[in-house]
Amino acid sequence: MALLEGRGLSMTFGGIFALRAVDIAVEEHQVVGLLGPNGSGKTTLFNILSGLLRPTAGEAWFGGARVTKLSPWEISRLGIARTFQIARPFARSTVFDNVLVGVTFRSRHRYRRSLDRRRETEHLLGMVGLAEKASAHADALSLGERKRLELAMALSTRPSLLLLDELASGLSPKGREEVVRFYARLKELGLTIFAIEHSFRVLARVADRLLVLDQGALVAEGRPEQVLGSTRVVEAYLGEEE
Amino acid sequence: MSLNTLAQALISGALLGCFYTLMALGFSMILGVTRALNLAHGDLIILGGYLGYWLWSGSGLHPLFLVPVGAAALLPLGLLCQWLFQRLPEPKELSSLVLTFGLSLLLQNLMLALWRGEYRLIASESLAGSIHLGSLGLNPGRLIVAAAALAVVGALYLGLTRTRWGRAVRATSLDREAAALLGINVDEATRTTCLLALALSGGAGVLFATLHYLYPGGGIDLTLLAIVLTIWAGVGRLRSVLVAGILLGVLETLTVAWSGPRWRELVLALVLLISLLARSGGLALGRSH
Amino acid sequence: MPRGEWIGVGLVGAALLLLPPLSGFHPYYLYLVSTALLFGTVATSWNLLAYAGQISFGHAAFFGLGGYGAALASLAGFSPWLAIGVGGLVGAGGAAGIGLASARLRGAYLALATLAYAEVWRGIAHNWTEVSGGGAGLIGIPPLPPVGWLPLDFTRGRAGGYYLSLAFLIVILAVFAGILRSRLGLAFAAVREEEERASLLGVHPLPWKILAFALSGFFTALAGGLYVHMVRVAEPDLMFSRYFSLLPLVMATFGGLYTLLGPAIAALGLYLVSELLLHPLAPAFHQLPYALALIVVALYLPGGLAGLLRKKKHHGTA
Repeated sequence: MALLEGRGLSMTFGGIFALRAVDIAVEEHQVVGLLGPNGSGKTTLFNILSGLLRPTAGEAWFGGARVTKLSPWEISRLGIARTFQIARPFARSTVFDNVLVGVTFRSRHRYRRSLDRRRETEHLLGMVGLAEKASAHADALSLGERKRLELAMALSTRPSLLLLDELASGLSPKGREEVVRFYARLKELGLTIFAIEHSFRVLARVADRLLVLDQGALVAEGRPEQVLGSTRVVEAYLGEEE
Repeated sequence: MSLNTLAQALISGALLGCFYTLMALGFSMILGVTRALNLAHGDLIILGGYLGYWLWSGSGLHPLFLVPVGAAALLPLGLLCQWLFQRLPEPKELSSLVLTFGLSLLLQNLMLALWRGEYRLIASESLAGSIHLGSLGLNPGRLIVAAAALAVVGALYLGLTRTRWGRAVRATSLDREAAALLGINVDEATRTTCLLALALSGGAGVLFATLHYLYPGGGIDLTLLAIVLTIWAGVGRLRSVLVAGILLGVLETLTVAWSGPRWRELVLALVLLISLLARSGGLALGRSH
Repeated sequence: MPRGEWIGVGLVGAALLLLPPLSGFHPYYLYLVSTALLFGTVATSWNLLAYAGQISFGHAAFFGLGGYGAALASLAGFSPWLAIGVGGLVGAGGAAGIGLASARLRGAYLALATLAYAEVWRGIAHNWTEVSGGGAGLIGIPPLPPVGWLPLDFTRGRAGGYYLSLAFLIVILAVFAGILRSRLGLAFAAVREEEERASLLGVHPLPWKILAFALSGFFTALAGGLYVHMVRVAEPDLMFSRYFSLLPLVMATFGGLYTLLGPAIAALGLYLVSELLLHPLAPAFHQLPYALALIVVALYLPGGLAGLLRKKKHHGTA
């Protein structure tokens, strides 16, 4: 079984079908990209996989365990972490404390000594390039810095699967280059990644497989060359290149 | 419990319920247009009652003539309410609770200073006693109050559904920004609603004082009542508020018939607590009617 | 905390410690300041719960539970010192209960639920006559007896209550300070700021919320338990009065939401000013300053006075 698997996931809000019977599979150590125009259900899917939403139908498994109806904290403890497209840090806490939370309260690789926790937090901040901003308040950061904080927070729980929501959007070409390097780095660390991106150029370089959603349904999947080469997909379903 | 007692309780409860609906309207209206939860709601009604009592004991006029006077007396407070509630920082629901908690205490102290702690009642003979229908006894005061309540609800319903004003108010309650974008003068709609709400509370207070003893701390009861009805019925849904009111009235009279009047306040507080705990969402705003 | 603040705290602390002997153990002043200290404890407990993101409009419930619990224990023969502890536990239990039941509620709806909770207990105290004495309440609660191994003057009469209330305040301030530095404080702050985000980081919000309620309820109830031993009666309309829900709210928000000392300072200041200055001048209006303070806070100072000072500091250094 794949590390992350979903079968028949559907979500209805009132009369709106946000997701229609979507099947997904993410193998361990892979980078799988999720594409689709706005409103196609990508974030809804992430919300279901991270426990913020309960699907109206379908099931999801992580590492063989059923995660469909679990609370966010239970799913986090199993090893899934996510970032948000619009960063949601603890605004009035320091950058340091934001990352410390995950390090302190995760259930695996726990440190008993406060010193060790602080060291890991510093290490994570260094990894995303926020070491100098450690004592700044989260709401004082720039957009790029906030995205890095989101990433550091996601990594703070030592997950095995990362759900990354549009890490590269809103950034300059230079910023996007950094993101591509980051994807490689994360892969090196042994993480499995399921990533939503608007820019298919980024995904083409980092993803092993792509899934394409449109209006809640899965309309294409396969290797990047296959999916991106399909003119039908390119015309109708891919977002504009940024 | 005999069938007769049951019937008596049901009818009294329905009458009481109409009265409760009238008491709750002001709260619901203000919540709809300003998103403010007014914990001083009940105290404002009691204030109207005290003013009515004061005029009645001084002039000897029949209480029913004093109802519009009570309404007029509280009308200017509607402007104050609008001014205060529009200044509240977000989240309005919580900050309004803080503000009106203070207002409630302020009003109670004011009434205590002016009228002291003794219980007062507008004891008008025309409203006392009992009219007999078969084996049931009905208090004329309660009948008149229930009739007034139904009349007000009816008029309000017509006003909200048939007039331009009503449409403006409903739109403002549903989505203030969208209403403003549509060209609706939301400030005016809010102002008139607040004025109307306070006038209703003032008039209702006078009616209240004919049936119940007034004391400075008596407002909390009415406030809790208004909150329960608003939770049950949703904001701005007039017909639902009426049904909810009648339900609550019947619930109360049945409780009193079964175990006596002492438990009234406790049961009301419990009903409120359970209603809150049973809802995981907030008070459903929108769909005024 | 900067040096200047420490010195200030030290001076105030010393003054409070020495007040009884310096004032000749004058019963009225001891009673007055004891009550102010109790309110300081309740305000700080309220603030602790607010720090975990839960705004309570019903702290009177915990105050009253502590009071009645202690009164019943005391009347049953327990030493009053122990009875107060019993009251504290009852309050903690009652608080944990409502914390658990209202776990899904947020903001205004949680506030209303706590308000209703306090009214429920008031109703129970009114009606459960066999236990609570009904509307008349419980009377004849013994005063705090002197403690044998301490100098007599310091524990007899009003002095015993004074030092106990001072001790409660010191303990809760110490507990709060400890929490702020620890994992508990981190969890509370995370749950307060973004409960969902905290959950996604592996923090199960529920146990932390219940713990916050229990701690807040415990100290508030201790204050209630001491209070009944000072006034020697426990009446439902007094012990579960909305006044005891409103005061901590005013004091904490006025003094500085989420700060360590703000609520206690505001409690002492507001209470002593209102009792010493306003009560003699205009007794009918002695609750007025609290009402006005609350209105001002709601409209202009969501973070309280301490929040205002903090902003000034930021602008100065930034």
